[in-house]
Amino acid sequence: MSQQTKAETKRPVQRSEMTKLQWTWKEIKRNKTAYFMIAPFMLLFIVFTVLPVLLSILLSFTDFNMLQMPGWQGLSNYTRLFLEDEIFLLACKNTLVFACITGPVSYLLSLLLAWFINELPPKLRAVVTLVFYAPSISGQVYLIWKTLFSSDSYGWVNATLINLGITSEAILYFEDANWVMGLCIVVALWTSLGTAFLSFIAGFQTIDRSMYEAASVDGIKNRWQELWYITLPTMRPQLMFGAVLAITQSFGFGAVVTNLCGFPSVDYAAHTIMHHLDDYGGQRYEIGYASAIAVILFVIMFACNILIKKALAKVGE
Amino acid sequence: MKRTMFQRVLCLVLSVTVLLGMFGISTSAAGMKDVDVQASLAEMDAFLNASSYAEYYAKYHPTDDPDQYIPVGADAIHVSIKDFQSGSAAQLVKDNDACQSSYYESAGDWESFGDFNTVGAEAVYLPATDASGNVGKATWEFTVMTAGLYYIQIEFFDCNTGESSISSIERKLLIDDNVPFTEASYIDLWKNWEYNNTKVYTLDAYETYYEQTYEKALPELADGFSYDLIDRKENGAYIRHYVYEENGVRMVKATVLSQDINGNSMSPDAVQAPKWNTYTCNDSTGYTQGNFQFFFSASSAEGEKHTITLEAEREPVIVKSITLIPVGSDDVTTKSYAEIKAEYESLGYQPAAEGTMTIIQAEFPDLVSDASVSATNDNSSSATYPTTAKAQLYNVIGENSYSSVGQWAAYTFTVSEDGLYKFGMRYLQNALQGMFVCRAIKLSGGSYGLADGTPTLPFNEANNARFNYSDEWQSSFVGDANEVFEFYFEAGVEYTLYLECSLGSLQSLLASAELALENINAAYLRILQLTGADPDEYKNYQFPEVMPDVLITLLEEGIRLCGIADEFVELAEGDIGSHIAILDNVARLLDRIGSDNGYEIARNLANLKANLGTLGTWINDSKRSSMTVDAIYVVPADANEKVLPRAKAGFFANLWFEVKAFFCSFFTDYEAMGLTVVPDEDATTIDVWLATGRDQSKIWRSMIDIEGEGGFTSNTGTAVTLKLVTAGTLLPSILAGKGPDVYLGLGAADVINYAIRDAVLGISGNDPRLAEPNAKGVVENEYFTSYYYTYYNEQTGEFERTTTPDPSRTATYVSKPFSEVASVYNPDTGEGNFVAAALDTVTLRNVSYGLPMTMSFAMMFYRADVLAELDSEVPETWSDLLSLLPELQANNMSVGITYASAINFLLYQMGGNMWRYTDDPTGDYAGARIGLDTNTAYEAFDFVCKLYTDYSFPVTFDAANRFRTGEMPILVGDYATIYNQLIVFATEINGLWEFCSLPGWVNTAEDGTKTFNYDSLAGIGATVMLYGCDDKLAAWEFMQWQTDAERQADYGNKMVALIGPSAKYESANVQAIRNLSWSASEIAAINDQINHMSSIVNYPGSYIIDRYTKFAFLDAYNNGTKPVDAIRGYIDAINSEIERKREEFDLPTLEPGEVPDYLN
Repeated sequence: MSQQTKAETKRPVQRSEMTKLQWTWKEIKRNKTAYFMIAPFMLLFIVFTVLPVLLSILLSFTDFNMLQMPGWQGLSNYTRLFLEDEIFLLACKNTLVFACITGPVSYLLSLLLAWFINELPPKLRAVVTLVFYAPSISGQVYLIWKTLFSSDSYGWVNATLINLGITSEAILYFEDANWVMGLCIVVALWTSLGTAFLSFIAGFQTIDRSMYEAASVDGIKNRWQELWYITLPTMRPQLMFGAVLAITQSFGFGAVVTNLCGFPSVDYAAHTIMHHLDDYGGQRYEIGYASAIAVILFVIMFACNILIKKALAKVGE
Repeated sequence: MKRTMFQRVLCLVLSVTVLLGMFGISTSAAGMKDVDVQASLAEMDAFLNASSYAEYYAKYHPTDDPDQYIPVGADAIHVSIKDFQSGSAAQLVKDNDACQSSYYESAGDWESFGDFNTVGAEAVYLPATDASGNVGKATWEFTVMTAGLYYIQIEFFDCNTGESSISSIERKLLIDDNVPFTEASYIDLWKNWEYNNTKVYTLDAYETYYEQTYEKALPELADGFSYDLIDRKENGAYIRHYVYEENGVRMVKATVLSQDINGNSMSPDAVQAPKWNTYTCNDSTGYTQGNFQFFFSASSAEGEKHTITLEAEREPVIVKSITLIPVGSDDVTTKSYAEIKAEYESLGYQPAAEGTMTIIQAEFPDLVSDASVSATNDNSSSATYPTTAKAQLYNVIGENSYSSVGQWAAYTFTVSEDGLYKFGMRYLQNALQGMFVCRAIKLSGGSYGLADGTPTLPFNEANNARFNYSDEWQSSFVGDANEVFEFYFEAGVEYTLYLECSLGSLQSLLASAELALENINAAYLRILQLTGADPDEYKNYQFPEVMPDVLITLLEEGIRLCGIADEFVELAEGDIGSHIAILDNVARLLDRIGSDNGYEIARNLANLKANLGTLGTWINDSKRSSMTVDAIYVVPADANEKVLPRAKAGFFANLWFEVKAFFCSFFTDYEAMGLTVVPDEDATTIDVWLATGRDQSKIWRSMIDIEGEGGFTSNTGTAVTLKLVTAGTLLPSILAGKGPDVYLGLGAADVINYAIRDAVLGISGNDPRLAEPNAKGVVENEYFTSYYYTYYNEQTGEFERTTTPDPSRTATYVSKPFSEVASVYNPDTGEGNFVAAALDTVTLRNVSYGLPMTMSFAMMFYRADVLAELDSEVPETWSDLLSLLPELQANNMSVGITYASAINFLLYQMGGNMWRYTDDPTGDYAGARIGLDTNTAYEAFDFVCKLYTDYSFPVTFDAANRFRTGEMPILVGDYATIYNQLIVFATEINGLWEFCSLPGWVNTAEDGTKTFNYDSLAGIGATVMLYGCDDKLAAWEFMQWQTDAERQADYGNKMVALIGPSAKYESANVQAIRNLSWSASEIAAINDQINHMSSIVNYPGSYIIDRYTKFAFLDAYNNGTKPVDAIRGYIDAINSEIERKREEFDLPTLEPGEVPDYLN
């Protein structure tokens, strides 16, 4: 018996001889150093990201209010969200408008600017990069817009318009439903040239010059073809990274709006899903309902990610 | 066009009716409020028309014969109690040898004395106001034989009555019933304060005491000052010993800065140390050099007499006599330093022997002028004595709390040998870049000072001791720009050195900068009246034709500012370019505007306004002579600077200190801030959280720990852990089950939010959760309905609580039932702690969930000078305000009110209510519907919207700045917030603004009777007990201790003492507000508003109301929707949200159209 076992262990293990679980466990043991090294991150990731997501999915079926024991509510939060809550639908609309405008526009803007800047001589490039990147590193600098468009008749824009005789009274830019959304989109675009923009610039510089030479031999006719067939496909990872950032940013654009327009914005004109979440979670103590909103937002963002992945796969084809 | 007779008659009748109607309105409007606000404007008018001292002075000092008015050879005139003529609220008092309490004991009504001599009265006691609100006022009558200029000296006692607060004594001086010049309206008499940390022992007794307290032997103490730092966990201290001999016995005076268990120094309490003082009338702003000179004409033979009247502004005082000293007589003329020096030489005075340096650590002042002048910590240099890296020891005096003109700190010292001395000082003056700050050196004792101990300047130059700028610590001798001052001191005589903040040689410069600012401001307002705030750049306003004088003023002031800048450069020791840049900027701007070609003013008006603000701030900053002092050294006059301790520590010493400090910071227990005793593990402990600042937390800590009367732990045996948290920590901590027992300052809306979710406890004795007996068989609701007496059992050393009083022992603490603690304030009797409206906001379905701690409410601030100039009255009603508007708007001025608060308080003034069914006896349906869909509410909302649309009130505005420039002479806002802001931010308009209760609404009932309502709305921060609190009785005792009148007043006054006049505290306790440091007229105004108070009660879903009223308002404002339509559009949304919230909490709801049962 013992001899037989010995013989068996000597024989290389075959995948088919094991269940999937056993195989996995064996692989884990084999690569234990790698697992050991990734463990600290995974632990933090699970505790602070995966668990909260799971927990909020769970809470979205309850009436948790932060202070008392939650009670099971079934799907009622979701039915209320979609069937009764008009403001949620308004928030969805705003979020989509916001995301559809700022997401792609800021993405394309980042890409184009990065492309142009890439053509500049290195020293000038460094300066121009800083100029474009500055608004997003300087934290709350977008509050300058609040000063510019202050509702006070001494605010910059108001005072100028009144002086020029265009208006006669101060316009409450951030408290007027006609202005709020437009202004917020402009500010969002202004601040959006962030990390994605930097990663594009980096991406442009990693491209192997010899590929352009080879391409010109192969018959590339102009810069557009060069961009589409060589540059973009080579930097697909950066494009993906930029896209994911653009989506998360455009969906999670709550803080800027709150700081500019107050909370909630007038007549919910710039009320996004993030705000709706804040409203129920922070002000009304309805964490269960807020969790349901968060879940929906999570699903939308997840779906967008998949869409983008598919779209990017087509680049250069 | 020819009119028919009928038309003419009709016109006449109509116009007469209209006129009569207007007359009716104006007569009915004046004096509708309980407190008359119009009187102040008349005073302001007189004030504005009075001349300044500079003008007054120039009048009696004509250039052709400057000595014309100097009464040569005239005698000083003593005005004493015999000359007392009349007064209101004044009492004649006897000098009972400084026995404070009986000092101002009334000798009866002044009228009842025929002959003052027979009663033996010696002085006049002048309260700020008496019980019935009369302002304290006293008039003396006397004859002047020789006409001329006189100084006025007042002999006063800074008495401490129960009603005195930490403000200084302020009086208005009238001569022959008139204020002679504007500066005489603010006569500032100082108070003497000392710290209650000094005790005197015989040396033998002290040795035993020292050993017992600090568990080590007393080190050998030499005569004079020595300093001792005791580093222990408990009873750590930093002590100054002063050893001297009295009647052959060696005595020691120990001044102790005690420490908490981390070694941080604790602030000693400032207490008044009243004594007789002699005050010579001078300029409290510090702008005028020397004392005021007053002109008196000679009384004619018919017995014509002059009078001097002192009228109270703030704080009580006792005045014994007034002396008029002729200008130029020897009594008052101070000598120059050169004369003094010559005198010393002729007397043969020599420098004292070497090696006799006396070190006075500045953190131990013997007397201070202001409770906020106190020791503080400075860890910027390790050479400062004493410093420790692990804690904050009080080792210096000064910084910002010791920087306004007139503040002083006094140090008593003796020297061991006769001779000439000079003062050395180690100080840090890094506030005024390139400039110097000044201190006046005043002395008393020995041959210095007046007979009653009031210090005087030994020579003129002593007013001007200079301390130059450096960003590092400096050690130097005290002197002016030219030389170091020497003083003659005798051995064994007690001298007191007064270091008083003064403007010194900057006096005249700053005075003229302030005058320039005033003039430019006036010019700015004139321009504004013509062009408006946003002038048209392309229009030629024809300034040279319309207002040439304004242009000239601007040019002149520009030149004046240039001159001031030049003089600054001359005076300065170093580079002051950056400091005076603003002067140059404004001067250049004025030059450009003044030489206007027609368009410059319009282009630069906004710029001018901004620069005016900056100039005002600049003057404020330059006036502050901020300096930190570590130690004062008294050294022989011939010593050189090397004898002074080093100013700076070496590089490595400092580096090592910083490294130590960095690592020590990891081990500091911030929760134990101010804790003096390591908490006993077994003692009952309650956890108290507050989310304010470090200063506030330290004050509460010290008040909890006071031994004896008033302290909490020492009287109840309950230890308190006080934690300073950030706002918003409470919710997660409750969620995690780690919440406190008591939380201070929770907003009323949150109180209700937490209450309906079971997170806070009801404290009115009817909380159903506490109705059942707990594990120990106690019905905890009884804690809130009965008296509990705490007795200290000497045998066991423990505190015992019982519900039955024991007449044989005195209770250390009595816990009162809720009904008594939260007694409702009754405006008629003046009794009760809290306004009913305030209590309502923390009550839900008849259960109270908190005790109000702070109460904020809106009041009306107005620029009395602007209104007086426009010749208008302070609006008392909204129609007054509206009829004032054309006048204001014609001058391009506006009114500042935020719409959100206006909507709310007008609703209540018109008799509306935010909620329906609040009178439901069961409380079931209270708040089930919004009250905004009533006719009253529509009317209120419509009125407010029209203020902004039709009357062009600005929606958004920078209140403080516009109020400061006078563009917004009427401003409605939270009284303490705005007051605190204006008092520090806009010092140049101090005295020009006042505040009063809100304008009110005249309601006409159906039967035609008119009622007048000027309610303001109370915003409450409450002290609450959290669910999960273990020892509810102990927590309840703490809550009532913390919110009672005495504690609240004490806390408020300590805040002002620590931070300054801008830290006025909005206590919710009405009885406490009276004892805070408000002036008589301010307190009258606040009281008037407190008597008229409403509040918006919070019910489930209340957060939605503000949101939708805001939406509705903005809809009406932005889109021109009819206000009533706008608000009506949101009623359903509000009601359905309320309904949803009520369902969440299982509260009864109403179907559309349904009314509650109790109404059927």
